[in-house]
Amino acid sequence: MTGSNEFKLNQPPEDGISSVKFSPNTSQFLLVSSWDTSVRLYDVPANSMRLKYQHTGAVLDCAFYDPTHAWSGGLDHQLKMHDLNTDQENLVGTHDAPIRCVEYCPEVNVMATGSWDQTVKLWDPRTPCNAGTFSQPEKVYTLSVSGDRLIVGTAGRRVLVWDLRNMGYVQQRRESSLKYQTRCIRAFLNKQGYVLSSIEGRVAVEYLDPSPEVQKKKYAFKCHRLKENNIEQIYPVNAISFHNIHNTFATGGSDGFVNIWDPFNKKRLCQFHRYPTSIASLAFSNDGTTLAIASSYMYEMDDTEHPEDGIFIRQVTDAETKPKSPCT
Amino acid sequence: MGRKKKKQLKPWCWYCNRDFDDEKILIQHQKAKHFKCHICHKKLYTGPGLAIHCMQVHKETIDAVPNAIPGRTDIELEIYGMEGIPEKDMDERRRLLEQKTQESQKKKQQDDSDEYDDDDSAASTSFQPQPVQPQQGYIPPMAQPGLPPVPGAPGMPPGIPPLMPGVPPLMPGMPPVMPGMPPGLHHQRKYTQSFCGENIMMPMGGMMPPGPGIPPLMPGMPPGMPPPVPRPGIPPMTQAQAVSAPGILNRPPAPTATVPAPQPPVTKPLFPSAGQAQAAVQGPVGTDFKPLNSTPATSTEPPKPTFPAYTQSTASTTSTTNSTAAKPAASITSKPATLTTTSATSKLIHPDEDISLEERRAQLPKYQRNLPRPGQAPIGNPPVGPIGGMMPPQPGIPQQQGMRPPMPPHGQYGGHHQGMPGYLPGAMPPYGQGPPMVPPYQGGPPRPPMGMRPPVMSQGGRY
Repeated sequence: MTGSNEFKLNQPPEDGISSVKFSPNTSQFLLVSSWDTSVRLYDVPANSMRLKYQHTGAVLDCAFYDPTHAWSGGLDHQLKMHDLNTDQENLVGTHDAPIRCVEYCPEVNVMATGSWDQTVKLWDPRTPCNAGTFSQPEKVYTLSVSGDRLIVGTAGRRVLVWDLRNMGYVQQRRESSLKYQTRCIRAFLNKQGYVLSSIEGRVAVEYLDPSPEVQKKKYAFKCHRLKENNIEQIYPVNAISFHNIHNTFATGGSDGFVNIWDPFNKKRLCQFHRYPTSIASLAFSNDGTTLAIASSYMYEMDDTEHPEDGIFIRQVTDAETKPKSPCT
Repeated sequence: MGRKKKKQLKPWCWYCNRDFDDEKILIQHQKAKHFKCHICHKKLYTGPGLAIHCMQVHKETIDAVPNAIPGRTDIELEIYGMEGIPEKDMDERRRLLEQKTQESQKKKQQDDSDEYDDDDSAASTSFQPQPVQPQQGYIPPMAQPGLPPVPGAPGMPPGIPPLMPGVPPLMPGMPPVMPGMPPGLHHQRKYTQSFCGENIMMPMGGMMPPGPGIPPLMPGMPPGMPPPVPRPGIPPMTQAQAVSAPGILNRPPAPTATVPAPQPPVTKPLFPSAGQAQAAVQGPVGTDFKPLNSTPATSTEPPKPTFPAYTQSTASTTSTTNSTAAKPAASITSKPATLTTTSATSKLIHPDEDISLEERRAQLPKYQRNLPRPGQAPIGNPPVGPIGGMMPPQPGIPQQQGMRPPMPPHGQYGGHHQGMPGYLPGAMPPYGQGPPMVPPYQGGPPRPPMGMRPPVMSQGGRY
């Protein structure tokens, strides 16, 4: 089912996968959080699980602070930091509701968590300790770091941009340009904007600069839709990941497809084969050679029989991820 | 729009009668839609330029400008942006617009709903609701496949298919009439929506513009009438219109009959593929885009009808200060809004409630076990020493439920929210820890967020 450039990880989690993240400086290690309450670290080339630690509830997101520390949070409301070398765990803090997102901002050296308790909390990773709690208008669904800014996507299609160095006020309050619930936001590597996906098979490319000339450049497109028997099935676009080098991005949807897009030429570069079930998370390695694809049923159609969840590791080529020369 | 009188109006495309905000955008549109080679997709600058290119490079002749409305397909006219448009067509256009503005003034009083639509004009590069090729690349902003490909009336995207049967008979006879409709989708949209909404006036308005200028065409209309007549809802309208027509149009009832035709059906398929959602969310739809360009801050209100949850959350949002017990509890217990989905031709693969997939999954019983209860110490894994003793594994849970004093019912988040009041100061008498905020701690010793240290140590019976 998979080609020689792709394989499935051994010892996958025993329930759905919520998030996959590569180590910041190597494509060797992949951190995986799961609904089976575990967080696992995999040695990708060796295709083996190196380490596993537990939460008491499903883990919804994980992130590397640095190559040796993993942070994770989930339904048990707890934010944990785990030292991957010593296997030591540290309960850093909690939210009042499940933690949905965990991200690290290298520029400001702070960890950020977003929760369904409608707050974003910042954490100093060195101590580690809480460095502030910031109210959001709605439950936080997604977070992305852009330079020294934090882009927060909440329920109600709201998007807030915070300046991590000045959290006294919200830098920008926006509304998603898509009409449906926001699923995922990822910032462009050039810090000019972000990509936002919704549950309705659509992705928007937006810019942070509020000036009208820049705002005119924003656009959106439909994707992850399948036509079957004259009925168009529209799938949520759950995952977005940027390729560090080419500035192209991959999207994964509940249709089980992964597409790679070139945002500047506005073209789709590639679509991989269909995966067994919904794509829950995507992660490019920092060197852009590898893409981790979490294929995990997301209960879009309730609790039903579904193909096995798994994590696929795919070696990507330039042909798949590099922009072609621009057309006129 | 730096010219004096010659233009006077917003730039518009002579080939398809669409309106644009800016001449630059108009030119981009022309290059992409009318001057693009169908063989190699090269964009030329003018009609003749395209013809020459096809001849020289592909050895093919073309005789009509692609995507142009009938009557405007002349490949030999050298038109670039607004330059080169024959004077008489300019005049016609001006007249049309004048009539339209009269129309829209009349309309303004009537039509209060959706002026917005997602299919926001050429000028907007924000969003391509193209009904086609989701699997291909996505189409650059200037190309709006849903619209231009269809010349004239049929070209009116989603909302107009129903118009076709009644209209085509008119078209050949009066191309200039069509312009009354399509130019500037914006305008057209207004008309369309008002079709749905109410309007007997509107359709009349649609026909009006051509009226004075094209008397000879009127006779052409009756042939168009019969088809619309059988449509449901038309008869009543026809009558009503017949009544009002004289007052409005001083035209024979003939035109009225044709116009109502599209009305009943228009409501539904207004934007079939352009995000079926839009059919339901006409109002909020546009406001998503408009406010974005103007004042994002004001855009909290727009999605009223379709997403009540948003409304209520925006309402409650304003009162939110910091994360406190009350708010989360309120949001949880309120019923989530349901998504207004799709039309018959599309299906949104997502549960009906407008909550995230993760929230929905978290509500499943299997994920509710051993979640922290209010006042409960955070359960670490074995390494967290003493707690291991207190928190018996899963089997112990039911018993915990019975134990804990503030035992809220199973909530969305494992009851944690409802329990919040439980660990505000006072709830934990021995420990009344003030700040709900988590004090820094170094893991290791089990330090529950709520400062229930001793109880943690003592035993698990508490929870």
